Amino acid sequence: MKTSLNFTAYLIYLPVVLVLTWYVAHTLFKNSKVFMMDIFNGRSDIAISTNKLFETGFYLLNLGFALTIMEVAAEITNGRSMLEILSLKIGGFSIYLGIMLFFNLYLFFRGKRVARQKARLAEAVKVIGG
Amino acid sequence: MNILAYVFYFFITYIITVRTGLVFYRNGKIYIMAVLKGDAQLTDFINKMLLTGYYLINLGYAATVIRFWKSIESFSALLSSVGVMTGRIMLTLAVIHFFNMAVIYFISRRNNHLINHTT
Repeated sequence: MKTSLNFTAYLIYLPVVLVLTWYVAHTLFKNSKVFMMDIFNGRSDIAISTNKLFETGFYLLNLGFALTIMEVAAEITNGRSMLEILSLKIGGFSIYLGIMLFFNLYLFFRGKRVARQKARLAEAVKVIGG
Repeated sequence: MNILAYVFYFFITYIITVRTGLVFYRNGKIYIMAVLKGDAQLTDFINKMLLTGYYLINLGYAATVIRFWKSIESFSALLSSVGVMTGRIMLTLAVIHFFNMAVIYFISRRNNHLINHTT
């Protein structure tokens, strides 16, 4: 029986994906605390909680997706096809991760804008009401 | 081999479900509290109900898919099937989680209290 390279491919794929997801989530949610502070008008307890909730959800979603697409149905017989399959999978996952990252950034900017508008509205109401 | 896969699978699923459940439980409390204008009793109740429902759905789902598991012959098949099944569980968890957050957010927007509190 010829040795199959599927197992090796999984052993390469899993650490790469884990480290990639961890790195992106870590960077994103370390910096998003500033946005959360703005969105929740500086109430740090809610800001930190919401940040944590989003972070956990982000990990679940992306790792779940990474694990769901990990299966290689075909038998991998040589090094070349292993490299090609791995690069396709990891590249596709990176693109997905990048889209998720920009989507999250969009949400943060939008939240910030909405919070500022509401604050301005409240200010105006206060002025009009005397 | 299948039994080995089930052992790994249940171990991983249990750890993920329970740990993320606890994270959600602890951090969700403040979030719901803000929405419900500091009604502590109702917050505790809703939080506990959400946690229980979450555990029930996930562990129930995890146990159900065992029935439809392919038979496993090699280590690579073991790794891939455990990975794929765990991935599906995590996706389900993520969907439920974001759904819950969205519902709470929309309730808060109706109450208009979570963000706009400048009084």
